[in-house]
Amino acid sequence: MTRRLRLGPNLNWQVIVPVVSGALLAVGLGMAVCFVAALAGDGGGAAAFGWPALVTIPLSAAGVATGGRLRSTPLRARDGFLSVTLAWVAAAAVGAIPFLLHGTFDRPVDAFFESMSGFTTTGATLIADVERQADAVLLWRSLSQWLGGVGIVVLVVAIAPATGLASQRVFHAELSGPTAERLTPRIAQTAKIIWAIYLVLTFLGFLGFWLAGMTPWEAINHGFTTVATGGFSTRTSSLAGFDSLAIELVAIVFMAAGGVNFAFYWLALRGRDRLWPQAAEVRAYLLILVWATVALTATLLIADDTAGVGGALRESGFTVVSVVTSTGYTTVDFDSWHDFGRLALLALMFVGGCAGSTAGGMKVIRVMLLAKAAGQELGRQLQPKAVQVLRVRGRVFGEDVRRGVLAFFLIYMLVFAAGTLVMAALGLEPLTAASGVIATLNIIGPGIGDLGVSESYAAVPEAGRWFLSALMLVGRLEVFTVLVLLTPAFWRPSVA
Amino acid sequence: MRVIVVGLGEVGRHVARTLSGERHDVTVVDADPVRVESMQGELDAFVIAGNGASPKFLRELEAGEADLLCAVTQSDEVNVIAALAARLLGTRRTVARVRDDGYFGEDDSFAREQLGIDTVVNPERATADDLAESILLPGAVHVELFAGGRVAVAEIALTTRSPLVGKALAERRNVRPASVFGLIRDGRAVVAEPGHRPRAGDHILIAAAREDIGPAVAFAAGHTSRVRDAIIFGGGRVGLPLARRLEEAKGIRVTVMESDAGRAREVAEQLTSATVLHEEGISKDAMLAHGVDRAGAFVACAGDDRANLLAALHARQLGADLSLAVVSREEYLPLVDALGIDAAFSPRLVTAEAILRAVRGASVQAMYLLAGGGEVAEVQADVGCFAEGRTVKATNDRARTNVIAIVRDGRVLIPQPEERVQAGDRLVVFNARQGVADLHKTFDAAA
Repeated sequence: MTRRLRLGPNLNWQVIVPVVSGALLAVGLGMAVCFVAALAGDGGGAAAFGWPALVTIPLSAAGVATGGRLRSTPLRARDGFLSVTLAWVAAAAVGAIPFLLHGTFDRPVDAFFESMSGFTTTGATLIADVERQADAVLLWRSLSQWLGGVGIVVLVVAIAPATGLASQRVFHAELSGPTAERLTPRIAQTAKIIWAIYLVLTFLGFLGFWLAGMTPWEAINHGFTTVATGGFSTRTSSLAGFDSLAIELVAIVFMAAGGVNFAFYWLALRGRDRLWPQAAEVRAYLLILVWATVALTATLLIADDTAGVGGALRESGFTVVSVVTSTGYTTVDFDSWHDFGRLALLALMFVGGCAGSTAGGMKVIRVMLLAKAAGQELGRQLQPKAVQVLRVRGRVFGEDVRRGVLAFFLIYMLVFAAGTLVMAALGLEPLTAASGVIATLNIIGPGIGDLGVSESYAAVPEAGRWFLSALMLVGRLEVFTVLVLLTPAFWRPSVA
Repeated sequence: MRVIVVGLGEVGRHVARTLSGERHDVTVVDADPVRVESMQGELDAFVIAGNGASPKFLRELEAGEADLLCAVTQSDEVNVIAALAARLLGTRRTVARVRDDGYFGEDDSFAREQLGIDTVVNPERATADDLAESILLPGAVHVELFAGGRVAVAEIALTTRSPLVGKALAERRNVRPASVFGLIRDGRAVVAEPGHRPRAGDHILIAAAREDIGPAVAFAAGHTSRVRDAIIFGGGRVGLPLARRLEEAKGIRVTVMESDAGRAREVAEQLTSATVLHEEGISKDAMLAHGVDRAGAFVACAGDDRANLLAALHARQLGADLSLAVVSREEYLPLVDALGIDAAFSPRLVTAEAILRAVRGASVQAMYLLAGGGEVAEVQADVGCFAEGRTVKATNDRARTNVIAIVRDGRVLIPQPEERVQAGDRLVVFNARQGVADLHKTFDAAA
């Protein structure tokens, strides 16, 4: 029998400690990078990053070092859920410290909100005037989104020494999508591939922005936040501040690229014929982008008197890609659009990108499966004895996936409804409350109403900021991972 | 010829009986001593208990001296191993029954070229192919292709709609370019004579070039309505490949009824457009609810012969245009006609076809056994054989057979008795009874 440390209701700290430490180590190294950047630049905020990094790195490294025994520890599903959730909360909490030390925010809740918004790649901000912040702080915001993009725990799995089956649990607890796909027999290898693809895309994004006319500094920041579909910008007015078609096109391409299933890239590169379900999802995803753009362009031309097809296309195209991929960059104030356009954008926020991408939302594949399941339920009314199979391009999804997708939708909607009620109770008017929940649960960033493009989340009271921070995490980890912690059964010691 | 048959099931018994009836030296092997005991004296053959997959046992049987080994046990694995072992010991030809498509898929060239198993028989898939052909060709209950697909032989169940009913064949014989060559009445096949007057309920056999068979069948059957809805009762080893074939054919709405929930799901997962119903029982009410009365074709291919016959009977009475049943056991075949079911398909016959083809040797390239006891075979006339230069009539007399079609230089001829056979011709011949013809003596050069 393995020796086991018992510090809680039968929790497996031998799994939790290394995973959380791994995430914190990444955070610490990120802060060290910002410290160096601060020294190299204007020097602002060097202390705010240097001290936390100095404390975090050795402590978390020690925690990671305990992971050597991980291979031999017994595995339970709950350890995966708990350690991933804790890793994200810890990352956001530690990542909030520089904001406080540097004086960006006075209240811990604001720093935590900003930090959580970063790691979950939401992109909702409480900073009213972005340009006035120190470069190091802006870099930290971008870097936090980049670390959170494909997943901070995926990064841990990729880099940490072979952690065997435990890493599989945490990997699946973090990865998005209705089914757990692995690209290679070894999960660590899969994680490495995902991060390699992510690095390449990020670098290409950086090059693109630079060539399109950004300064290298801005290109680095936007490179980090575009492929991560995060949405933090170095300018208060987001990409509208550049007013450059070239930059917007680069942003569109790399936002869209970040919203594609990373497994798709890998399979496409290898020319695998296993590609079809992923390819079907990517195809549906691109169709959604195209048709939503067409519909909103028409709305802009008809209802909003936007000048010219070209201008309308540019505005709607950028906004649609930004919203569907859950990035949240803005070039126009879509809150001032016709109500159809505003509500259509809210609906698109729910769809999100592909499973296994950096995007949020419910994911295209789930929407496809939901649509099929709904059609089949209608068919079942006519033919109760028919045996129905969920299928996408020849790939059969089992009944467990059907159940999982329907349950996901149900819980997602319940969270949305309950969240809206909570925000309304805190004093926000209904549309603002709903859009705030939608924009955080789907990790978009800007909402409509008082949380619209031209506003920040300053309108939300303190309790609401805690609450929305939690929603971001719930959305980023796709509901189940976090909410399962709230069930009484999870804390019953008998659970294996 | 020395033949070893491994497996004393339905197929093994049939093959052994047929071959020993044709005066071959047959040794039958089965692992079950009780079954072996019960078959002693039933067959004019050695019947021995033992494991046919064991190389040691096969050596004791002197498999190396055998001309043919047919492995037809219930187990695919045993059959493959037996064939491989026999091959290595020196048996000249091997036939193995492999029912699971997962082994070789549709293309069995791997088995032939890499493993050295001459013929892999998948009776259920072949049965499904036969069923699909007869559903896809309106009017016919059975279609078989010969000479590389150039010649088609069709079996047609006559109804009162047919213009052939009640008239002497002499008046109608030359439905050229198709020709009526045989008749199945009361479950027995006979050679069609000009004086025969077909009745409703009889099956007639016609041969034609493949491109002419559609119109010929439509004429003989008296209708041309295409099947638009096919209902398949039973999603088993026959039902699933059949449903897949019909799906591929387009334009046919396929419904599969399967009583086992797990199997129904498996079937549904493997089909794309078909409706799969988890439907238990074969009550008329259930059949009506699923539109059997309006179906163009109903195929009963569940595991149980009796259930199949009952279901097909119901379907017929409810008004399905074409009602087909898979019947494995010989004993039930007479019921098919009595119940008015359009046609019965037997996986056993399909297996026997493949095996008898192997026995008949190189000159017989394709074979089709009729439920009524007849056989249609394809042979090649070698240079210097008896038939070369002789008339069809002389050839028929010598070989005790009936030449029904000749393929010469890629063209299909429906020959008159005076037509002369040339070397290199491929001939399609019909016999009302199996194994009576002397094809070898007539068409092989050495004889």
